[in-house]
Amino acid sequence: MKRPIPMTLSVCLLILIVSLLVAETLTVKVQSTSLRSTPKFYSSAVQTLSAGQKLEKIAAQDGWIQVKTSGGVVGWVHSSAVEVPKFDLMASNKGLKTQASAGEVALAGKGFNKQVEESYRAKHKDVSFAWVDKMLQIKIAAAKIEEFMKKGKLGEFGGGR
Amino acid sequence: MSGHKRIVLVPIASLAMLFLASCAAVQSGADILAGAGQISESDRQSIVKTSQAVSATFSQITEEQEYYIGRSVAALILAQYPAYDNPALNTYINTLGQVMVYSSTRPEIYAGYHFLVLDTEEVNALSAPGGFIFISKGLIRRCKNEEMLASILAHEVGHVCSKHGLQAIKKSRLVDAFRVIGTEAARRYGSEELAQLTTAFEGALGDIVETLVVRGYDRKYEHEADELAVNFDVTAGYSPKGLTDFLQTMIGDTTTASAKGWFKTHPSAEQRMEKVKSRIGSLSSAPVEASVRTKRFEQSVAKLI
Repeated sequence: MKRPIPMTLSVCLLILIVSLLVAETLTVKVQSTSLRSTPKFYSSAVQTLSAGQKLEKIAAQDGWIQVKTSGGVVGWVHSSAVEVPKFDLMASNKGLKTQASAGEVALAGKGFNKQVEESYRAKHKDVSFAWVDKMLQIKIAAAKIEEFMKKGKLGEFGGGR
Repeated sequence: MSGHKRIVLVPIASLAMLFLASCAAVQSGADILAGAGQISESDRQSIVKTSQAVSATFSQITEEQEYYIGRSVAALILAQYPAYDNPALNTYINTLGQVMVYSSTRPEIYAGYHFLVLDTEEVNALSAPGGFIFISKGLIRRCKNEEMLASILAHEVGHVCSKHGLQAIKKSRLVDAFRVIGTEAARRYGSEELAQLTTAFEGALGDIVETLVVRGYDRKYEHEADELAVNFDVTAGYSPKGLTDFLQTMIGDTTTASAKGWFKTHPSAEQRMEKVKSRIGSLSSAPVEASVRTKRFEQSVAKLI
């Protein structure tokens, strides 16, 4: 086996370079979320984003990321809604936890999924999911939450410190 | 080993350590090296196996899998406590809950956070992974203002943010599940794989429900959720005293409620109170109770239960 190491190194470096090049593309990891006009949860929705959708990062601010969709629409998403593909040299020293989202997109739909739930429910017919589904139907409009915060002098509408 | 070889092996070893940080990277790296004829097939398999064992932790559970685990945990909680079918009260709890979610460290999760009142006088609040949060009528009845209720919901949101429920899952279930996930490329499983995954799923649900309902979280998770609740309260604009005021109502309680729920599954109210007070004391400033919120709470919630 002659000169195996330079080959290994070049492969590793290639992987590193490719990883760094794709670092600015984000993928939506939640079922659905809103692309918002400003970096606030109750700001108006520009459009709906769904799991797996790719976004181009433009800027970041206080946990929010300004992005552009493939259709060219610009808006804000919260950082917890997207997966950032990364090969972060600093983060890798901190161990696995910081790399937690690495397989989010690759594993979409795999593992404990709808099919496994159906299999579980077939075995446990006495366990009712009726109220679980009803819970998921409870949705409070962003405007209602903003009004609740305004009336209750909460968040940016407060001042009682 | 010659000096030359040692010099070259050091950077190789460092790169290998970097790759260990990502299971996917280790596997693809091993595949590439095997493909390039740099390592043998048996070496490749052992590298992949090691990386899978290393990565069998709760943090490798995807958002979507967390959601499916949470749905079933929620169903099992609702098998023990009936839902309180009161749309006005549930709307209020969900609105307040979302304010705490917005102020949290993990506001966006797979299917969002959802809150539901349980029809029991037991003083209890529970959170399943994936954002299914429950609060009992008995607990709401103990709250004297919106700050107290907000603090309890913030504590439960904190458990979800830090994935405390998922951490109750025994490692062996994850090793079993990840073995199937790692070997199968398809998203629909054959009967054998499905049976294996369902068994691991049942085990995981059992681990979580046992922790949530019977045994209670580790002390450190309760203290962490309290600390997060103080942070979320302050960010949202609520007085973090809501949490100490609630804990105060629990101290010295000798009623039947004290044998169950929040009383049973937590460190003592005194211990929690001490930590929360010192945390609040370290803040440079904190919001104070607002009469407009207390009035809102009295007018809406008190009449609804």
